[in-house]
Amino acid sequence: MGGVKRESRFMKINKILIANRGEIAIRIMKTARLMKISTVAVKTAVEPNAMYLSFADEIFDNTEEVSEIPIFLDIDKLISIARNTGANAVHPGYGFLAENAYFAQKCLDNKIIYIGPSPDAIYKMGNKTIARKLALKNGIPMAMGSDGNISNEEEAVEIAEKIGYPVIIKAASGGGGRGMRIVRKSDEMEKMFIIASKEAEKAFNDPSVFIEKYIENPKHIEFQILGDTKGNIIHLGERECSIQRKHQKLLEESPSCALDNGLRKTMGKIAVQIAKAVNYYSAGTVEFLLDSEKNFYFMEMNTRIQVEHPVTEIVTGIDLIEQQIRIANGEELKIKQEDVKLKGWAIECRINAEDVQAGFAPDPGKIENLSMPSDNYVRVDTGIQSGSSIVSSYDSMIAKLIVSGKDRKEAIKNCKMALDKVWIKGTKTTLPFFRLLVRNQKFHDGTFTTAFIDELDKYYFNSEYEEMLAAWLATKLFVEENLQEKSINIDFENSGDMSPWLLNKRINQF
Amino acid sequence: MNHKLRINKLYTLSSENRKFSFPLPLKNKIRIGKRDYVVQLKADDKYGTYILWKNRKYPVEIVRSRQNKYEILFNDISYTFTVETPFSLQRMKVLNTGKGKIEKESLKAPMPGKIIDVLVREGSNVLRGEPLMILEAMKMQNEIQSPVNGQIIRVHAKPNSNVMKDDMLIEIKVI
Repeated sequence: MGGVKRESRFMKINKILIANRGEIAIRIMKTARLMKISTVAVKTAVEPNAMYLSFADEIFDNTEEVSEIPIFLDIDKLISIARNTGANAVHPGYGFLAENAYFAQKCLDNKIIYIGPSPDAIYKMGNKTIARKLALKNGIPMAMGSDGNISNEEEAVEIAEKIGYPVIIKAASGGGGRGMRIVRKSDEMEKMFIIASKEAEKAFNDPSVFIEKYIENPKHIEFQILGDTKGNIIHLGERECSIQRKHQKLLEESPSCALDNGLRKTMGKIAVQIAKAVNYYSAGTVEFLLDSEKNFYFMEMNTRIQVEHPVTEIVTGIDLIEQQIRIANGEELKIKQEDVKLKGWAIECRINAEDVQAGFAPDPGKIENLSMPSDNYVRVDTGIQSGSSIVSSYDSMIAKLIVSGKDRKEAIKNCKMALDKVWIKGTKTTLPFFRLLVRNQKFHDGTFTTAFIDELDKYYFNSEYEEMLAAWLATKLFVEENLQEKSINIDFENSGDMSPWLLNKRINQF
Repeated sequence: MNHKLRINKLYTLSSENRKFSFPLPLKNKIRIGKRDYVVQLKADDKYGTYILWKNRKYPVEIVRSRQNKYEILFNDISYTFTVETPFSLQRMKVLNTGKGKIEKESLKAPMPGKIIDVLVREGSNVLRGEPLMILEAMKMQNEIQSPVNGQIIRVHAKPNSNVMKDDMLIEIKVI
């Protein structure tokens, strides 16, 4: 990460409440420390020994609190913690309240600096119908769709006929892949409209939905935006996040091999234009879909720091959290568009506690053993250490493995080596998927799209002889458990030592 | 198993019916081509339990073991094996010829979470892979899919209800 200048003399922010947990809490606290700003973290009953707590200058103990809502979603409580601890700024991280306009407004009302964009920008970009209208008004390329929300099934059918199937129904207040339905035929429309609307109501307390042309097998390309409160807005290049399951990203890289300099310039300019339409400041992300003909369509803008921000930090050398804090302080953006140069290649693998053999179902549990590579081409952002638990109250992330190289080829090669060095015991992880992916030809070619995961019939990489070794192990256990009677002539002297488990099992039944 | 007889070989069958055979007494070596390679099961504080093979360490864990059935996590991939002696393998072959198929599938919650939607009713016919319920857990909506072609006998979970891991969700009669 780029050089953080230590000029805290002019800083208004002197203490930040981290309204988040896990790796992103640690990520923010690391930069705050470099900037000589102190931090407050919240200790919860769910994770009283979490790793992020050890990075804070001050801990607010909330373990006694018994509440239905997690603390990181409790606006009033967070405001009161900020006031009680003397924190004059709040960083929301990602998830939780990171895109809640009401929370941002509440902070401002209480004279607490919100490290993020204006409540107005959060609101407008958070409501997909308003965002769409804004984009239309500014001549931003978009998939054809309804002008606003759809009020009933008949209207839905009518619009779908006009733009042509397949179409996608989306929740106006949606995000993160929830509340979306693809409709391929008109006779499915009525049913799907009702389901989508019901789903939207349940998930976001808002039944409004709208319709868009569904782009088949696109690439997911997003642009990192930085804006200040003086009206300067730049972009820091793109990230490609086409490797997704259930509309959630698994692997991101920067730059994207689908873009050349010309297209990068065009899309970047449009991304800046969208941000300008809401007078955006702080870090944000404009998401596009790119079809096979290199047509691109605005999808949405995320008004927060994103999970995958490190790949941009690596190729630009810019610390995005530092920029967010400086911008929140009212400082002018010192980086000009022409200063932004993408150097090298970075790939991020999200190592989650998930069972890839069971359709990426979360697999929470205790991480008994964790060791990550420490080579100079690897950056690891994590909030988990040996002994930590992946609890079902939060997401399933264990660590982000961020690997760099001078070009894509080298980055993939380094990624392959780094993945083989990751050691995690206790839960199933997405590692087998990544080990398979980095050896896949389509991934090497860069021709993959968001449909890529569905095209793979098996999600795991099984190197030669691994199954045989596992079978040997099963056999060994069987021998130890069943064939120990003296009457059978088994030469235990030559069959090796008793397995460590069997000893364990004797003490501690499975 | 007949303890009077000398067993000189074990067959280890994967869930996908691949058969591995190991001579007894079981050696800490596996023969590939004409060469024997040493395989060792080890444990230490730094790595926990692991297998050492051709200078590489592989994390291993027993997920479950019941009678002669073993579920093993090897390098983050899980495998299920049944270990058979030559006699039990023979017996299994005999039994299998007259074997009836499973009649009922009971689906349990794979993780704690909230049932967002139930997509089928009692009496509905379902196809293998068809979504039956949406379970929201850990910030994700997970489709609970039918493992078989069948008919729904009972639905145990209601929309908006919270479920614990292994709570019964749905019972399906296999057709």
